[in-house]
Amino acid sequence: MSLNFYRRVAFGLSPNEKPDKDPLNWAINQLDTIPDLLWPGKIPTEKDLRKKYGEWVYGDREVLRKKFKNDKHAYRKAKDELRIKTGERYFELNEHAIRHFQTKYSKQPVFERFWLFWGNHFAISEKDFLAEFSTGPYQREIIRPNMVKTFEEMVQSVTTSWCMIHHLDNSESFGPNSKKGMEWGETINENHARELLELHTVSPNAGYTQEDVIQLAYIMTGWAHKWDRKNLETGDIWFDQEMHQKGDKIVLGVKYKNDAKRELAKVIHDLATHPICIKFVSTKLCRHFITDEPTDEMIKPVIEAWNKSNGNLIEIHKAVITQAYKYNENTHKFHPPEIWLMQLSRMFDLNIPLSFEKMNYTFKSKPNNRQRQLSWILREIGHSPYRAKQPNGWSDLEVDWVSPELLLRRFWFASVELPMLVKSGNRSHGFILSCLKNNFEDHENMASLIENFRFGISDYDLGQKYGVICNLPGVLKV
Amino acid sequence: MNCTRRNFLIGGSTTLFLSGYFPKISFASMQKKNLIIISLRGGMDGLTAVPVIGDKRLKKLRKKLILEDVLNLNSDFGLHPKLEIFHKLWQKNQAAFVHATNIPYTGRSHFDGQNLMETGAHIPYKEKTGWLGRGLLASNIIGKGLAISLPMPLLLRGVPQNNNFFPSPDFVETKLIDQIYNEFKGEHNELIKSTLDTIRQRPLSMQIATDSDDRKKLALEAAKQLKDQSGPRVAVFDLDGFDTHAAQGGVDGAHADELEEVNKIVTILHENLGQAFDNTLILTLTEFGRTIKQNGGYGTEHGYGSAILMAGGLLKKSQVYTDWPGLKKKELFEGRDLNSTVDSRAVYNSAMSICFNQDPEFLRKEVFWGDQLPDLSQELFKI
Repeated sequence: MSLNFYRRVAFGLSPNEKPDKDPLNWAINQLDTIPDLLWPGKIPTEKDLRKKYGEWVYGDREVLRKKFKNDKHAYRKAKDELRIKTGERYFELNEHAIRHFQTKYSKQPVFERFWLFWGNHFAISEKDFLAEFSTGPYQREIIRPNMVKTFEEMVQSVTTSWCMIHHLDNSESFGPNSKKGMEWGETINENHARELLELHTVSPNAGYTQEDVIQLAYIMTGWAHKWDRKNLETGDIWFDQEMHQKGDKIVLGVKYKNDAKRELAKVIHDLATHPICIKFVSTKLCRHFITDEPTDEMIKPVIEAWNKSNGNLIEIHKAVITQAYKYNENTHKFHPPEIWLMQLSRMFDLNIPLSFEKMNYTFKSKPNNRQRQLSWILREIGHSPYRAKQPNGWSDLEVDWVSPELLLRRFWFASVELPMLVKSGNRSHGFILSCLKNNFEDHENMASLIENFRFGISDYDLGQKYGVICNLPGVLKV
Repeated sequence: MNCTRRNFLIGGSTTLFLSGYFPKISFASMQKKNLIIISLRGGMDGLTAVPVIGDKRLKKLRKKLILEDVLNLNSDFGLHPKLEIFHKLWQKNQAAFVHATNIPYTGRSHFDGQNLMETGAHIPYKEKTGWLGRGLLASNIIGKGLAISLPMPLLLRGVPQNNNFFPSPDFVETKLIDQIYNEFKGEHNELIKSTLDTIRQRPLSMQIATDSDDRKKLALEAAKQLKDQSGPRVAVFDLDGFDTHAAQGGVDGAHADELEEVNKIVTILHENLGQAFDNTLILTLTEFGRTIKQNGGYGTEHGYGSAILMAGGLLKKSQVYTDWPGLKKKELFEGRDLNSTVDSRAVYNSAMSICFNQDPEFLRKEVFWGDQLPDLSQELFKI
């Protein structure tokens, strides 16, 4: 088995890891349990951060805008101070550190790859201040615990999470015949219903119609944040009977009897166990780990595992890894920038993320450059994880990640930034060679390409070496 | 269900590798025409950019936002003083405005609105490609889009092989690429290899690092590329910050700062396109306008109708093209916003038909699902 398997399903091998005698078992054994989060620093809860979200949004909207209505400079200054005080500039950086610490040091890196996958399948795109306050904890508290349950349970949790409901506007969706809908002349907002069908479960392959979208939106009416004067839109999610569309609904030919809050669980059950959903999500999983265009033959065992286990994600993940193992030698998969960065960090033991002590924040001044570094790098290489532009998340296709500027950014990172992230004990040529040997069969050929710089240990020399190595075809893809 | 981006890519990706070998359609006999779109994110206030003159109601509702020193356009409309270049070009019939226009979106979410201004659709997030990308694809113009941003904007998606330019913070030594270029072997590395070719063929000016926030530099480079007869035919700029809920101000407020940025970009494009400016159209794009009434923070809320700022030699004449809906309460959209009487997609469809040498009817069907969009080419552009 080629060493690239460790990058195909994980992040490569760190200098103190050695290839396993049985790579398939090594990988499969990582999927039964949820590894602890390793970050030794602060890990705020979703609820804490939602409160901060409120302090920021209402502090600006309700207070500052009124106070400084005549003075754009004073307004901007006060707004910057509020950003600092509420951590608006900080929490996303901290989340990136938690995330990258995990992928760098986790003893179950294969599990972590699935974590990234599901976070992106149920993507929260850049909207309002979700990236700043919410997407990180959502992925930790909603996605992660469900990864040892069934797909259906995951969909249930995601669909009723504050983050997804806010993201897709379900709080603004009123049944037109509901009490509040009639009183206020409001109607449905279809966003969430459409994405639940299109992106999260059955996909357009199911051939649903606009009427199906509307009917599902009816079922979803009432699932909203609990509004009160103090919390406004940051209240917990509950089911508001007075927003809920009365009457029976029909989605994809199935009738759902008028049953208030219980309708949603029923329709999610049907969607999440729909054969087209199973095929759609299995294909996506295979695309992520095997190749951009997985064949039916590759996908079939995953579908079988899904059916056999009634959608148990542990079994599904194991089947995906088994297939990735089986096809490892004759398929290719291009990795998007963030995964590439995580792999470089693990394989070459780079100095990212920053230590938790240095990530400590006092809420008194702007986060410093070091604290911003990882997030800045992610943005500059084009893959700031919580800031996908669309609810379909980041693309998993090579064609979307290969543009002149995006490739140049990788050269830039590897040749200019990376040398400054090399730990002082790791600057020797020998260190690079041993990392290459640990991770690549053709390490000798790779080494020959940087032979000219073998005596160099300056940042410039390291830049020349890493600039070449990190952008080789066998590193950009497996 | 329309073809989604995902479907398109699955269906089309094998041919992408080959598309470098597509016979180039010969435009040698024709002058290349450029279409430049400047996205104004956040909701550009058409009534600040192109204020209606002497409307008592506007004066009353916007006491703190009223402009003095507006530049004169005609008896009905003025121009924000920060939009000097448009005023200058107006004298030469090279600037014009469409007013009381918007995409057919009446919600008030930036995210939904921006999604729709780029996809050109009716339902947010339903389409995964942009109208400009689809227009290029329908016109078989491949590899001629230039995005002045790092992620490929949704607007340009749907057509393969776009270029993008948004310099990294430091100089990248392209000799690194030379060193590993030959390592990219085999069919599965073709896409990367051809992209590396594009990078290696870049002029030195595109390789030099710059501050990506330096819009002057970016506009200058875009102008250079667009001037090149074999260069890109479409460029997309992205500006944000138009969401001025507070301290919007008049001549010097927060909205004025953003208009100044637009002015800067158009000035540089005009100066540096030279002759090519005669064969160019520059159009702005935004998700919605802003409320008529100022809010408690002397800003404005999300509204509906806005304006499109246009410049370039392909304009028919200087004019404010509008079917003015009026600003009386009953004339406003939901009693609060300037209405939209022109579907702005009609303007973009007509502009594409001019710049891509296509039948507007054909584009309307290919790009906008046959929506009822009148052909405005005669009214707005040189044909």
